Amino acid sequence: MLDALWIVLLGMAIIFAVLGVLLGIMTVLSRLPEEDKDKKAE
Amino acid sequence: MDVTAGDILGFLSLTWQQAIMLGIGCLLIYLGIGRKVEPVLLIPIGTGIILANIPLGDIAGQGGLFALLKEAGIDTELFPLLIFIGVGAMIDFGPFLEKPYTILLGAAAQFGIFGTFFLAYLLGDGWLGIMDFSMNDAASIGMIGSADGPTSIYVSVVLGSKFTAAIVVAAYSYMALVPIIQPPIMKWLTTENERKIRMPVTPGKVTRRTKILFPVAAILTVCLLAPKATPLIGCLMFGNLLRESGVVKQLSSAAQNEMANIVTILLGITVGGMMVADSILQLETILIFVIGIVAFAMDTAAGVIFGKIMCVISKGRINPLIGAAGISAFPMSARVVQKVGLEADPHNHLLMYAAGANTAGQIASVVAGGVMLMLVPIFG
Repeated sequence: MLDALWIVLLGMAIIFAVLGVLLGIMTVLSRLPEEDKDKKAE
Repeated sequence: MDVTAGDILGFLSLTWQQAIMLGIGCLLIYLGIGRKVEPVLLIPIGTGIILANIPLGDIAGQGGLFALLKEAGIDTELFPLLIFIGVGAMIDFGPFLEKPYTILLGAAAQFGIFGTFFLAYLLGDGWLGIMDFSMNDAASIGMIGSADGPTSIYVSVVLGSKFTAAIVVAAYSYMALVPIIQPPIMKWLTTENERKIRMPVTPGKVTRRTKILFPVAAILTVCLLAPKATPLIGCLMFGNLLRESGVVKQLSSAAQNEMANIVTILLGITVGGMMVADSILQLETILIFVIGIVAFAMDTAAGVIFGKIMCVISKGRINPLIGAAGISAFPMSARVVQKVGLEADPHNHLLMYAAGANTAGQIASVVAGGVMLMLVPIFG
């Protein structure tokens, strides 16, 4: 059962770590300036 | 020749177990057509169950159509991955990209997968031993909590679980029951004042460039950190890149429509064909359906509890209800959040935020599948 507990703890930790890194990248991406074409379309 | 009527007439060879399976097949078809519960899947699955359990039909036996489809599409993991390309092409990650922090709600809601895994393993080989659940079976059963059919299939096939068919049917069935399972838990875990927290509806400002870069960034980030998730996230994001690139509309359309529809038919009827009476009517299978509800309940509870934590950290600006949309049952759980929010305050529109958490949950569940595939062989 200890193995299963490790899987639960490590699993959740890895998910938060991976998605945390993705969050950081997405935060940067979401702040990218608009393209000229996007501005023209508006 | 020594031939009896029972060798020719199917109904004379019908066992009570097969009769039950025929009833279940008819019930699923009724639910799909009569009640419109996931008809796209339940009609093929129900038909597959009926055909596979016709005595002397041999459609699911060696060399039969279902056996061939299983070998070609399920055992090779092909069908779920192709479905993922279609799903990726259908999903607009815009709401998630507008509020990237919702990915944390998606991450929290995956606790249902791991909590259910622990429970199943506890009942099986882990401690009590009252069920025939190995660690691989328990991990596959836990994947019902991904609220994502293709991920459940993929993980259970890769781990070689003997309960793949039951797991898949449970995952798809409970996705349809999200509007019934989630609201009581959401209301139980939140106060009236929390449910009334308004979140401003702001127009989206995600650029096309961001939408195009996202699938590429997600592939590189997730696959390099959790490589076992590569087939799942790769196919999902490939489909999304087709959609967002804007230059291959015909491919995006084919992925969303023709390919997704054809594979859904084949996948549905094959999964139904795997539900042969002898292998399905066991105590373990019935328990898998019970545990499936626990998985969805734990997903919801973990998402809402994490939403409450974010509510405190944000000084009351985040409505904890949106955490319930962190499960990947898209778009049902986002709609449920909107409905429960409107019940508390008729002017409180949470849909955009819930949709963000919901699409984030889709990514998170895929990552969770990859993580499970990474950890189980290490500890198993």
